[in-house]
Amino acid sequence: MKHFFTLILFLSAVIAQAQNGTITGSLSDKEAAGQPLPFANILIKGTSKGTTSDFDGNYIINNVEPGTYTIEFSFVGYQSVEKTNIVVTAGNTTVVNQEMSAGALLDEVIVKTTVRKETEAALLLDQKKATTIKQSIGAQELARKGVSDAAAAVTKISGISKQEGGGGNVYVRGLGDRYLNTTYNGLSLPANNIEKKNMDLNLFSSDVIQNVGVSKTYAANFYGDFAAGNVDIVAKEYTGDFFLDVDLGTSINTNAVGSNFVKSEGTGFFGFYNRYQNDPYAVILSHGVDAIDANATTGLLGSISGGKSWDVGEESRLSVFATASFGNNYEFREGPAVDYTTVEKKRFPNSEEYEYSRNTTAMANIVYRINGDHKIKFNSLFINDATDQASYFGTKGLGINRDAILNTDKGFYQSNIQFEQDMIFVNQITGTNSINEKLKLDWGLGYNKVFARQPDRKRISVERYDLELDGDPNTNATFFSNIAFDNQRYFQNIEDDELNARINFNYEQSEDLSFNFGYNGRTKKRVFDNIRYGYDFIQPNTEVGDVRDLNGVFAPENIGTVFNTVVFNALDPANGLGNNNLPGRTENTYEGNLMVHGVFGEAVYQLNEKLSLVPGLRVELFDQDITYDVINLPPTDPGFREASEVFFLPSLNVKYALTEDQALRFSFSSTVSNPEFKEVAPFVYEDVTQRIGGNPDLLSDPAFSRIYNLDVKYEWFMERGEIFSIGAFAKAINDPVNLVVANDATGTQRFFRTGDRADVLGFELEARKGLLVDAEDENILSAGLNATYTYTTQDLKSSQGIFSTTFDRDSDQLQGASPLLLNADLSYSPTFGEYKPVANLVFSYFSDRIDALGSGQLGNIIEKGVPTIDFVWKNTINEHFEINASVKNLLNPTIERVREIDGGDIALSSYKRGLNLGLQLKYKF
Amino acid sequence: MKANKFLLAIFAAATLFVGCSDDDTADITINQNGGDNGNPVDPTDLTIGGTLSEDLVLAAGTEYTLTSALIVPDGFTLTVNPGAVIKATTGADVYVAVLQGGKIMAEGTSSNPIVFTSNSATPNAGDWGGLIILGKAPINSVTGGNATSTSEIGGLPYGGSAVNDNSGILRYVRIEYSGGAADASSENNGFSFYGVGNGTTIDFIQAFEGKDDGVEFFGGTVNASHISVVGAQDDSVDWTEGFTGTLTDVYIEHRQSHDKGIEGDGFNTDIGNNSSPIFWSSPSINNLTINGNGSTNENEAIRLRAGTRALFNNVLLSGFAEGFDLDDEDGENFTGEGVTNGDTGVTDISFEDVIVTLKNDTGATFDETTFFTGVGNGTGADYASWSGGWTRN
Repeated sequence: MKHFFTLILFLSAVIAQAQNGTITGSLSDKEAAGQPLPFANILIKGTSKGTTSDFDGNYIINNVEPGTYTIEFSFVGYQSVEKTNIVVTAGNTTVVNQEMSAGALLDEVIVKTTVRKETEAALLLDQKKATTIKQSIGAQELARKGVSDAAAAVTKISGISKQEGGGGNVYVRGLGDRYLNTTYNGLSLPANNIEKKNMDLNLFSSDVIQNVGVSKTYAANFYGDFAAGNVDIVAKEYTGDFFLDVDLGTSINTNAVGSNFVKSEGTGFFGFYNRYQNDPYAVILSHGVDAIDANATTGLLGSISGGKSWDVGEESRLSVFATASFGNNYEFREGPAVDYTTVEKKRFPNSEEYEYSRNTTAMANIVYRINGDHKIKFNSLFINDATDQASYFGTKGLGINRDAILNTDKGFYQSNIQFEQDMIFVNQITGTNSINEKLKLDWGLGYNKVFARQPDRKRISVERYDLELDGDPNTNATFFSNIAFDNQRYFQNIEDDELNARINFNYEQSEDLSFNFGYNGRTKKRVFDNIRYGYDFIQPNTEVGDVRDLNGVFAPENIGTVFNTVVFNALDPANGLGNNNLPGRTENTYEGNLMVHGVFGEAVYQLNEKLSLVPGLRVELFDQDITYDVINLPPTDPGFREASEVFFLPSLNVKYALTEDQALRFSFSSTVSNPEFKEVAPFVYEDVTQRIGGNPDLLSDPAFSRIYNLDVKYEWFMERGEIFSIGAFAKAINDPVNLVVANDATGTQRFFRTGDRADVLGFELEARKGLLVDAEDENILSAGLNATYTYTTQDLKSSQGIFSTTFDRDSDQLQGASPLLLNADLSYSPTFGEYKPVANLVFSYFSDRIDALGSGQLGNIIEKGVPTIDFVWKNTINEHFEINASVKNLLNPTIERVREIDGGDIALSSYKRGLNLGLQLKYKF
Repeated sequence: MKANKFLLAIFAAATLFVGCSDDDTADITINQNGGDNGNPVDPTDLTIGGTLSEDLVLAAGTEYTLTSALIVPDGFTLTVNPGAVIKATTGADVYVAVLQGGKIMAEGTSSNPIVFTSNSATPNAGDWGGLIILGKAPINSVTGGNATSTSEIGGLPYGGSAVNDNSGILRYVRIEYSGGAADASSENNGFSFYGVGNGTTIDFIQAFEGKDDGVEFFGGTVNASHISVVGAQDDSVDWTEGFTGTLTDVYIEHRQSHDKGIEGDGFNTDIGNNSSPIFWSSPSINNLTINGNGSTNENEAIRLRAGTRALFNNVLLSGFAEGFDLDDEDGENFTGEGVTNGDTGVTDISFEDVIVTLKNDTGATFDETTFFTGVGNGTGADYASWSGGWTRN
């Protein structure tokens, strides 16, 4: 709490500064029932002093010498107004409010201000007006802070952190992926990865984002599957006349540069793989197992975006915005990799991982504004996310495998070379219609398609690698072949189809009372399959040679002499087409179907000037089924599970305006959490050091978690986008789901309802303050800070079912919850004529958190806390040209996961990511 | 018009992206001549598989084809008469499992043993699963009572508190070419005994040319006699999860591909020793012979680790680089404690062609004279006296 008081004192000190007088006030729009009038000009006649009104219609002119003035208010399409005899005295504030009305001469011009929700001011206004607790970050702030994607964007919001090196996993208030939802223009957005419920936000480059908002409290129009928050990405749209931007950049990673960077064979420069149409067996016969030289370590990025609008007829306008970008990135990590349960099963003191990622994004947005009342929008998004990963474990011959055959003390070596390609297609039609003065309609229809594929992963296991390194040609490493699949090729395909729709009617009964009612629903289908070929060596202890040059060993001519290929499900055993040296059938398949239909209603009731209430109710029909044919299940298992539920989900959001700028908010809701396909499908994914599988019992005992959410928040919106807020939240999650090791002989982690209840209690603080202003009253130095402290606890119990697990303790913290999250930034933006540099220092930190809960006697796996500092320097040279530079991960902290054991921690992985240096040139036509 | 050109450029770029990776994958043509094709499954054969809904009796001297997992559920009995041969089609998911409460009554004779084998014309280790018996006897991976764990293969429940649980009788039973792996961590053995109680009779069993372990005990209290394991490619005899039975007359012979002769764990290291009050694997092994491939090969006869206790009596080890290797994790002394407590040790042992007789990597300090008594007195299992007629070599 000490820091908190220091902060308040500091803020108070900055606020107090007054010698001359101040004129302030607000402007209202007579044409819009007294709504605030933003963007109007306010000028003190006879001086150079003036300003424009903000989004709230408020204005302030500081530092006015005492005297009597005339003030002129003007706005396009409105009658200008002059107010005379305004007296300003030293140290005092003179308030001048003004209502403005449309000018008679211009009544043919219809001016409607559409708020462009990409500026920070507009989004703060949105946050201020919102009836739920919501925070957003817009394109302007993204650009200012040098944020390149949505994942980095949301971490600038309080209570949010990202998993380092974990592929865009976002935590909101300590709750991870399964408690979040991501939407795109208010419609469902698919996940790109089988392990995730949410899209990797790294894939949304800031070029396609208008703003990203996080709603931390529930409203009836959200899907009932809600716990920590809803992330909504709004696609960028452009309504101006014309623009075209081109940028080119380059980046280097200090770890990757100078390394002998390798990637998997057969993947294209842009991250496409062209062998999907071939049978996997044909692929392994035609192509080897070795990685190839990447021939580069310098990342490239380029993008082009443009927009144009056409007036159509008297009142319609067609706007097109499109963007395409490509970027690649090289990262190299080295450090130990360990599999430790209650004993050390594998230890690789030295491992090397080369990760080469490519990201292509294309987005087009066509907006047709029929007139002031009707608008229709088509949005199409394509993302190709591709990652090559070449990993070598036990590179110095010091690897240990407890179950090795020839030497359990050293010489164990494995390599894993894989490629993942995720292609995501999102197509949406959305629209808004004002039926009449009172009734407004907002609707959308979306269709999503995802192909997430992992073609031809190659895994090789070797023993006695130390003998290869000892320089003695008479002693050699040998292939480790305890089972045929110790050396294997693996292929996995996932295809998702999702159709979803939303419609909302807003009916304004009176100025004080309006209603929202509507429907949203989705149906989603996932189809999964995989196949695996093992290399079964005919002679035990077959010698290896160079472990990075194995194509000769696995050449097709060696089939039947050096090795046999083995597939789990033979093609046609009844007719003699067996498991060896032939193509096979898929090994595991599953199909999941999800159907959610919800109707909702809410009232927005302005009880008096200060108090507004938003009670809401959602009734949701939920149906999920999964059909699976997975290896190694009890033969008595039906291979099918289904759950159907009807949820009644009440919510109440209350806002009490203490003053015009300060408000108290209160929110209560009851929501649910439903299992994901990957959590219920019993298929087991085998990583080099861990195994993860689903548990179909999640759909039967019970099929969902009931969640109660409570939030209170105080917020104070100051001038120039300054804000101070403090809040508290509590959640009770019944029958929570955790990923823990199941009680069997394989060490597989599965999902279980591990207790009756989990509780979350937390406090949040957010402050944003201008520190220095220039002559035009613009901030040139500003700072922001947000912090969240979360306390979590859950009870633990053993569970029995198709799988079972047990615990040696009664309670623990919630998985994924960091007690402390901190985000801070400092921005310096002076102006020198046309040259406008902006320098930003952005800091974030999360404290240690449980990455995987330990069952049985196993300790928890802890993701150690990581501080990060990024420096971004943007230079707008003139109206056409920009040069931007960045240094990311300045602190280069050690990223570490450990297993807690009695008397200390065992590091499971530990590495540094290196600094990323980037340079970008941008040209605006 | 600028914007239109630019849209066209995006389209062109997108086309370029897709066209950028190579595909020089050749087609496969399968020419299947004779060989396996000459031996298709005849549907009129005696085919078995699936979950029993009534007791099943396999007739004496009859050959059956096992085409899928044969499950004997609670309350049912699988009876196998002498000389019956069960030939399994290939696949790790082709196995025989006797669930908790189910029984197998397989009583062969020394001249008419019961054989489970591969139906391939050219059989190989790992062709099919194996025999799995699941009982209700104690295991130390769970907290006790009726809590169960699930088996490596098939995900079937086992364990409980019935020390003298009875899963039936195995007598003169041979299993060949078993041990198919479902994945890197789930492997069939020849005989897998999961929490099998000492009401069960096991006498005269052989695991021949299996891909994984020959005989594995996952907890349980069952006693077994006259065990022969020949050519197991992983450990020949393996125990874990608090196995406390007695093994009498055990013969192990390594072939070209093998791991340890015996690998004993005190508990399942993936989940810990969750028993309360705590207990470890602590079998007794009487009359044991392990024949290795010679001390010039890097191999070891017996590995004891993860806190297991074990009392050996009358042991003959020949042809190993290492005889006994005892392990503990750094900073722990679970296995070593067994030796210093007197729960682990060897009485009467002989070494032939063994370089290192004892490798002590535990947390405890003890010497060979503490661990071995009666060195030179071991005579082993006297295999010749009981192997005739029913075993394979």
